[in-house]
Amino acid sequence: MSLLSVRGLQAGYGKVQVLFNGHIEVEPGELVGIVGPNGAGKSTFLGALAGSVRPSSGSIEFQGTSIRGRKPEDIVRLGLALVPEGRAIFTDLTVTENLRLGLTGRRDKSGSAKAIAEVTELFPVLASHRGHQAGLLSGGQQQQLAIARALVSEPKLLMLDEPSLGLSPTVIQDVFGVLNKIQELGTAIIVVEQRAHLIMSVASRTLVMREGHVRATLTREDARDETKLAAAYFGTGEDRE
Amino acid sequence: MIQTILDALSYGGLYGLAALGIGLVFGVMRLVNFAHGELIAIGAYLMIITIDLGLPLSIIIAVAGTAALALLMELSVFKRLRLAGPSVLLIASFGVSIFLQRSYEIIFGALPISGQIAPWMSGVIEFGDTTITRGSILTIILALALLAGMRFLVENTTLGLQIRAASSDFQTARLLGVRSNYVIGTAFVFSGVLAAAVAFVLVTQRGSVDPLFGVNITILALVGTVIGGLGSLQGAALGGFAVGATISLLNSFLGNYRVYSYTWLFILVIIVLLIRPSGLISNKAFKERA
Repeated sequence: MSLLSVRGLQAGYGKVQVLFNGHIEVEPGELVGIVGPNGAGKSTFLGALAGSVRPSSGSIEFQGTSIRGRKPEDIVRLGLALVPEGRAIFTDLTVTENLRLGLTGRRDKSGSAKAIAEVTELFPVLASHRGHQAGLLSGGQQQQLAIARALVSEPKLLMLDEPSLGLSPTVIQDVFGVLNKIQELGTAIIVVEQRAHLIMSVASRTLVMREGHVRATLTREDARDETKLAAAYFGTGEDRE
Repeated sequence: MIQTILDALSYGGLYGLAALGIGLVFGVMRLVNFAHGELIAIGAYLMIITIDLGLPLSIIIAVAGTAALALLMELSVFKRLRLAGPSVLLIASFGVSIFLQRSYEIIFGALPISGQIAPWMSGVIEFGDTTITRGSILTIILALALLAGMRFLVENTTLGLQIRAASSDFQTARLLGVRSNYVIGTAFVFSGVLAAAVAFVLVTQRGSVDPLFGVNITILALVGTVIGGLGSLQGAALGGFAVGATISLLNSFLGNYRVYSYTWLFILVIIVLLIRPSGLISNKAFKERA
């Protein structure tokens, strides 16, 4: 059974529909990428899965149960966590307070201290900045905090929306390096990226979105083939599903 | 002179409490709750009606009743408007405000109901040549205790952390598992408790209550939250304090010209906002809610 199984998902804001056909299958522990140009509906797709955008039709099954239309605060408790675009950390709160907020989404509160200890092991920089205001961290550190904050809820599936946004190349390497470690801990990951190469080299499969549709699924081998990638990305040639 | 300062401090504390009650709700749901004045009014009505049961019981009933009405507002009206914009919420709160004023008129009558609440509050204490009113001292103590209590709650508890998070970015707070309805409901309950405290002080000063009892202080407290910086709880309390203290000082300095107190107050408000358009304490994390 897939961890996450989504079919025919449609969503938008008010009368403006953005997502016309979102579908994805994620197996436990898998790392799946989603790429596509600006305005392709990637963030809306993730938002609809996390409950922050209300889907208008389609189905979302997480661990065999339908979660479509559930509230974000309930979905995170089921083990599906989203790190939204632009990190969205609480800049006025301390690093520790940000992490403590992440604990809100845990179903089992007893392991809280252990969970915090584990993520600070994964992101040592957070331990040394524990009492600092999160707004004083660098961009890369803030991104790490945002990921760590989502991880303390011990999600089975972690969704990251453009983790590379606004980060320098070396910092991006650091952030992406951690993804494999998270995966090794048994957490499945979906990463939305505009920089296709970045994600395709680490993901087992990468979906290509355009104009609100998932247009193609590329394997890691496909990623090395520039023409295949370009065709899927820009819509030249035939769409392949 | 000492009395003037004490009056300013007690007025400041009182308006600070009112502004904090409004600021709490504004923080978590971007609602400027004009019906906060009607919460203050119900607190005063409940106290005057039940004062024969003894002051402690009367206060408990007033606090519980006001908090209950605040929660009822949220559950019956505002909860249904979660997806609506701030302007819709604002108009809705006007509606709730007017509805409650008319309801009080029907239930309690349009004329003031008087009652003696804690008459010892109006007594004076003498220090040699200077006399000061007991009420101003007790109001300062009450305000300090409540502001300190709220501060502890907001800064040092998990619930407070969730309220702060929800105040700065509600969507993200929900993504982390913060239960929106719970946090908003609690904010309303706390604003009700603060309204009851304001009602207690006001009703001991005025000795009567009418349907428009809470309107004046609410409008001025709203001005206070704007001066203090919308979206910041500290700012709300501070702004409320500034407005209250200023009015009190203007009233004593202007003497026979005190009708112009409000003119001067609003001139000062305009100057403050010209210099600091986002308020005295601007909340950097404050986000316009979509």
